Amino acid sequence: MIVCVAVVGHQNNPLYIQSFTEADDALKLHHIVHCSLDVVDERVNNPKKSGPTLNETFLGLLYPTENYKVYGYLTNTKVKFILVTTDLDVRDVDVRNFFRRFHAAYVDAVSNPFHVPGKKITSRTFAERVSNIVKSFGLSSTG
Amino acid sequence: MGREVSESCIDSLLTEMVSSYCNHFYANKPELAARRIEAIGYQVGHQLSERYTMERPRFSDHLEAIKFICKDFWSELFKKQIDNLKTNHRGTFVLQDNRFRWLARMSLDPTADDAVPQDPSDFAESKAAQAMSMYLYFPCGIIRGALSNLGIPCAVSADISNLPACSFVVRIKA
Repeated sequence: MIVCVAVVGHQNNPLYIQSFTEADDALKLHHIVHCSLDVVDERVNNPKKSGPTLNETFLGLLYPTENYKVYGYLTNTKVKFILVTTDLDVRDVDVRNFFRRFHAAYVDAVSNPFHVPGKKITSRTFAERVSNIVKSFGLSSTG
Repeated sequence: MGREVSESCIDSLLTEMVSSYCNHFYANKPELAARRIEAIGYQVGHQLSERYTMERPRFSDHLEAIKFICKDFWSELFKKQIDNLKTNHRGTFVLQDNRFRWLARMSLDPTADDAVPQDPSDFAESKAAQAMSMYLYFPCGIIRGALSNLGIPCAVSADISNLPACSFVVRIKA
């Protein structure tokens, strides 16, 4: 189950952060997202460790904590998407799918002429699309 | 698939935008009109680069990003690629489009007081060239916005010394 998604700009400024569970402390989730930014920077700036996947947008599992798994995605415009989930068995292809749809929703939100780049995304359409993507995460199975 | 509009709508919009800013909003202040139009282009380029880099892996260096502008970005905007790319390997790139789409249908008014000089070296100073250059601020802004969003701050200017070819000079800020 996804507990939190976040969009972070290229200066590590938060553009959108949404948690999907009331049980957990929102502050703790924000902290996890913040820590994962360091891991993203390290992955991107360390070509020796990353190897052949240096320029891929999908960064994979960033780091597992006791309860959560954190996945990262870095776009060409240095915008980071962070996904925090409590699922134990998450398929790679599901996460990639999620980020692909999330990226499409993000591009549409940013193309809004009333959106100010660098400021938080306030579009309700974006929030609805994100919650739809989150709800359908992992539900489709290719069998 | 989003909705589509005909290309003549874009041509009309660009013509009207330049006309409004030059004759109405900033009449007698062409520098301000030019800066405003370039700023509009910057925002458009910013948003378009977000959309057109969606499915691609990240660029490893500046040259990759410029090549993206020349090929994929230009194809999405103008249905063709940049015809010629030159660089001095020190941060300056010249992108030459041999038939720039937004200038292709522009005529040079033969009844104007100072008719278009036959000598091409005088063309740059003629009024026709100055009028035409107002239409180039928007594409310059688009290129600057797209490159800025890819992490490359730069300055972009246009050169129309041999029409219908148009060259865009990109100078990357160190």
